[in-house]
Amino acid sequence: MKKQSSEWKFPRTRIQWLWDNMEGYRALYVLCMIGTVVYNMLQLTVPFFSAQIVDKFLTGDHASENLANMPDEFIRLLCAMVGFTILRCALVYWDCMTYEKVSQAVLFKVRNFLYDKIQRQDMKFYSTYRTGDLMTRVTGDLDAVRHMVAWVIRMLVEAISLVSATAIYFLIMDWKLALILLSVAPLIFIIIYIFKRMVAPMHALLREKLANMNTIAQENISGNRVVKAFAREDYEIEQFDKCNTDYRDTNKKTARVWLKFYPYVETLANLLSVLLILCGGLFLINGQMTMGQYVAFSGLIWAIANPMRQLGNVMNEFQRFSAASAKVMEIYYSEPEIKDSENAIDKPERFEGSIEFKDVSFQYSDGKLPVLKHISFTAKPGETVAIMGETGCGKTSLIHLIPRFYEPTGGEVLVDGVNVKELKLSQLRGNIGLATQDVLLYSDTIDGNIAYGDSEISREEVVRFAKYSAASEFIAKMPEGYETIVGERGVGLSGGQKQRISLARALAVRPSILILDDTTSAVDLETEKEIQESLRNLDFNCTKIIIAQRISTTKDADQILIMQHGEITERGTHQELIEKGGYYAELVKLQVG
Amino acid sequence: MSRRNTYKEDEILEEPFDIKHLLRASEYIKKHGIKMIIALVVSAMGGAAALVSPMIVRRALDVAVPQADKQMLFRLVLIACGFYLLSVLFTTIRSHIMINVSQDIIYQIRSDLFAHLQKLPFQYYDDRPHGKILVRVVNYVNSVSDMLSNGLINVVLEIINLIFIVAFMFAVDVQLSLVVLAGVPVLMVFMFWIKNKQRVAWQAVSNKNSNLNAYLQENIVGARITQIFAREDENADIFKTLSNNCRKTWMKAVSYSNLVWPGIDTISVLVRAAIFLFGLLIFSNGHQTLGTIVAISSYASRFWQPIMNLGNIFNGFINNMAYLERIFEAMDEPVTVDDAEGATKMPEIKGEVTFDNVSFSYEKGKEVLHDVSFTVKPGESVALVGPTGAGKSTIVSLISRFYNVNSGRILIDGQDISKVTLNSLRSQMGIMLQDSFIFSGTIEDNIRYGKLNATTKEIIAASKTVCADNFINTMSKGYDTEVKERGALLSQGQKQLISFARTLLSDPAILVLDEATSSIDVQTEKDLQKGLDAMLKGRTSFIIAHRLSTITKCDKIMYIDNGGITECGTHQELMAKKGDYYHLYTAQIEGLEAG
Repeated sequence: MKKQSSEWKFPRTRIQWLWDNMEGYRALYVLCMIGTVVYNMLQLTVPFFSAQIVDKFLTGDHASENLANMPDEFIRLLCAMVGFTILRCALVYWDCMTYEKVSQAVLFKVRNFLYDKIQRQDMKFYSTYRTGDLMTRVTGDLDAVRHMVAWVIRMLVEAISLVSATAIYFLIMDWKLALILLSVAPLIFIIIYIFKRMVAPMHALLREKLANMNTIAQENISGNRVVKAFAREDYEIEQFDKCNTDYRDTNKKTARVWLKFYPYVETLANLLSVLLILCGGLFLINGQMTMGQYVAFSGLIWAIANPMRQLGNVMNEFQRFSAASAKVMEIYYSEPEIKDSENAIDKPERFEGSIEFKDVSFQYSDGKLPVLKHISFTAKPGETVAIMGETGCGKTSLIHLIPRFYEPTGGEVLVDGVNVKELKLSQLRGNIGLATQDVLLYSDTIDGNIAYGDSEISREEVVRFAKYSAASEFIAKMPEGYETIVGERGVGLSGGQKQRISLARALAVRPSILILDDTTSAVDLETEKEIQESLRNLDFNCTKIIIAQRISTTKDADQILIMQHGEITERGTHQELIEKGGYYAELVKLQVG
Repeated sequence: MSRRNTYKEDEILEEPFDIKHLLRASEYIKKHGIKMIIALVVSAMGGAAALVSPMIVRRALDVAVPQADKQMLFRLVLIACGFYLLSVLFTTIRSHIMINVSQDIIYQIRSDLFAHLQKLPFQYYDDRPHGKILVRVVNYVNSVSDMLSNGLINVVLEIINLIFIVAFMFAVDVQLSLVVLAGVPVLMVFMFWIKNKQRVAWQAVSNKNSNLNAYLQENIVGARITQIFAREDENADIFKTLSNNCRKTWMKAVSYSNLVWPGIDTISVLVRAAIFLFGLLIFSNGHQTLGTIVAISSYASRFWQPIMNLGNIFNGFINNMAYLERIFEAMDEPVTVDDAEGATKMPEIKGEVTFDNVSFSYEKGKEVLHDVSFTVKPGESVALVGPTGAGKSTIVSLISRFYNVNSGRILIDGQDISKVTLNSLRSQMGIMLQDSFIFSGTIEDNIRYGKLNATTKEIIAASKTVCADNFINTMSKGYDTEVKERGALLSQGQKQLISFARTLLSDPAILVLDEATSSIDVQTEKDLQKGLDAMLKGRTSFIIAHRLSTITKCDKIMYIDNGGITECGTHQELMAKKGDYYHLYTAQIEGLEAG
């Protein structure tokens, strides 16, 4: 586990960051905090009225006379007590709802922002963060942020306003008794401060454990086929149990930290009541205060004691927010290394589709060896380039440089004569149709999957592209045709079927550059022939880069590149390469049998 | 079968609100019965200790102050101190116990849910976005943690608390107590009204959250696809809509929840006013002392405190019930593929596989296999060929009993596989799927998944056999290189090799290769062939491959089409037959030679 560096590495502090994201709601939020102060003040009014009632009509020398002479006032005081409470309740409701509203607005804003941040990150980001961890940040961690805005801050405002208003009221009524009672406060603050420092690392740890559990569960669910294939259910349960136990124990430990402080805080809070009986009683005996004042004190003592009790809880939540918000902000302020350059060329028109690799070298940042070494080749608009080579020779890495998933470590990749670094990512990628090796479909209808790149296209077009990729036949056989929902990752479809949908999806954007990364490997040969045929007769011009293992897929290419260990070792047409008698000729021999 | 679920639709909860969810939750609590009882007793004592203080105050005000008896005042204060300390002690003990109990309950629910998920068939995972399953295991269980720890337990305590308060109150004055209790019926009506509204609202929240989660997870996994199709803006809009749905449902739900507290508060102040009115009437008649009214008034506020707490707990209950329902729903999901009653352990498999009139369909009315029968002798290698989607993968999935057949039987060594335990069956099978899944962890861990107690030596040996050793050694940390679930570090072919090594390591009696080498280049495959031959020797194996060069040597080739086996025989036999296989094969050769 990485240790949290003590240095704050973001441009804004947590509170500033919250404030930034409260834009549009700041005035409301301040109003809301004022509302909190007001309703807490109102809360103090009930005892005020009841004290008056007790003083005037229940005790005192003229109690029965007062009652006889001023029944109206008695009723008025009662009405005021009830009226103010109802007013306060209405205000509390408005206030709580406003806190919710603002917190939801912040949540909404940050959540959308995070989502967008995540989806625009480069591949390096995705190989750093696990899915479960990212999920934790957008869900659990963000909820702690929401909770801060909706609850923690409200509680703080409430505590501060209650304690200070009560303190002032007490001081006005009887400063001596008030000072005695308030002497407890500094002790509480010291205890809470120590608690805050002790519990902070626990919350950071707790959220790590949560993220771990999330990751294990997420991968178990995604990999459920492998789990079952190896009958590893027990092992999985064991692995999950470790995380689950870990999380539970950390939760217990965190809770116990508070439990160490709880008795002191609680005792101090109770000490207030004890001091009140003792000193209040003495003052009463000495005639230094009236019974009404005493009742007011005793009726309000909670307004100091409860916030004290609550403070521990508030601190706990505050620390949870601290730990979580740091995780959220890490994503919030992260910048992908691959993004539009400042003076990117605007090229809104359709690309011609020429591709040029100029002495391109590439190495993964966490790799030991270069993956591509001095690659140079050119594909003219409309040409087909086939790339073949051993597993792991760098074919996929090579094509990933065209849509700029990675930056080459040397040389340049040019599309339409422009270095891809100078192009706008959305325009560059908008002109590329890529069908990846590892087919990822979404849990959506087949129609929705094919139209993924361009949701505007009509059903007729979807069907046409499905025909191009020889998928229309099997789709038509499905119970709901194009409306059939394929599960996550396209479960329910065979490998070949998934590949064909992925191909239709890539074609549906009518790309100027079509890249097929071993897209027909699981398709039977006859179907593949069909696909080859339609690829030759597309109704739009497009340059094709095709990675394949089968000679039948590549033999008609204008240019065949053979890669070995990151280098192009042979190039030419099918005929030329056979005549050359190298690796390719060997492949042909192997495959024809 | 119901339609597959996506992030766009809410999952419909078929069960109506049921008290049985609560009872079921209490099953989890029962296991901690003794601890719970101790906690309850301790809490009750703590509550009782805290309740004594108003009595002391009353005595101080009624007796000590008027008599100016300072000695008595000191004594009373000392007694109060003692009781306060006792109550702190008791509540601390209670919290200690409760922390353990609550966390253990949550742990147990989560464990049970996860264990149940392991038993659920592919179908369950295929029918809904994975994010929706995940949110139940992690987020929902976390949400109910609060309800079950503080909630269920506090309910009992608050009720005990209430009983005590009511008892004390009655001891002080019956008439005034009745006035205090008069507020209760009003409260009941209020709570009943709000309960139904709240429940529906919180269910909506859970649905919308689940949708958001589903979308989020798919898009994190599919980020590359999003980027290549430059669909970020559109996705952001969809996410915004989902996010906004969450916000709207949340606001609606809290608009009810937040009513509870002010509602109770209003009722309580009305009661307080009533006490003064009645108290005054009675007091002016000379029945009551001033101390009584002050004490009752204090009890009244103490009476409303637990009621408010109950209101809050009730709030939590209602909103967490929406989550609890989802958790229990997943736990109740029937395990369609499970050990039969009295299932025996599959003895060591020799490898004879028989399909006896097997019919199968994923969805009702659409048979994928119809009356398929064949027998494979131990040690034979069988290739399945045919058009995509013909049912080749289905046949091999049935051998491992990933699905139950509609009719017919599948026998291994004469033993009906539906009569043996799943674990004993599957642990003897080695299946390499098209989709090679890589877990986060080191490469070594990923290979070791096939045999958990394998030594590093065995792992390296397996990797060498499948030609994976070479590329693994070129990686930054060799076998210790960390790979991620969707890590770009490995090419598809490399993933397949790792998954090959994993399968080899598991030393299966029956081997299934489902397009296992589709992404591996021909050259590597040729090298691999030696290892593969060794692997196939003496094992019954089923191979699905489009590249026919890999299967010509198989003992038996079955051509699958239209839900059945249309041709079966050796390569030579089938070629001589000049049927479907012949066409397939010649097409491939022609395809190669035409260039």
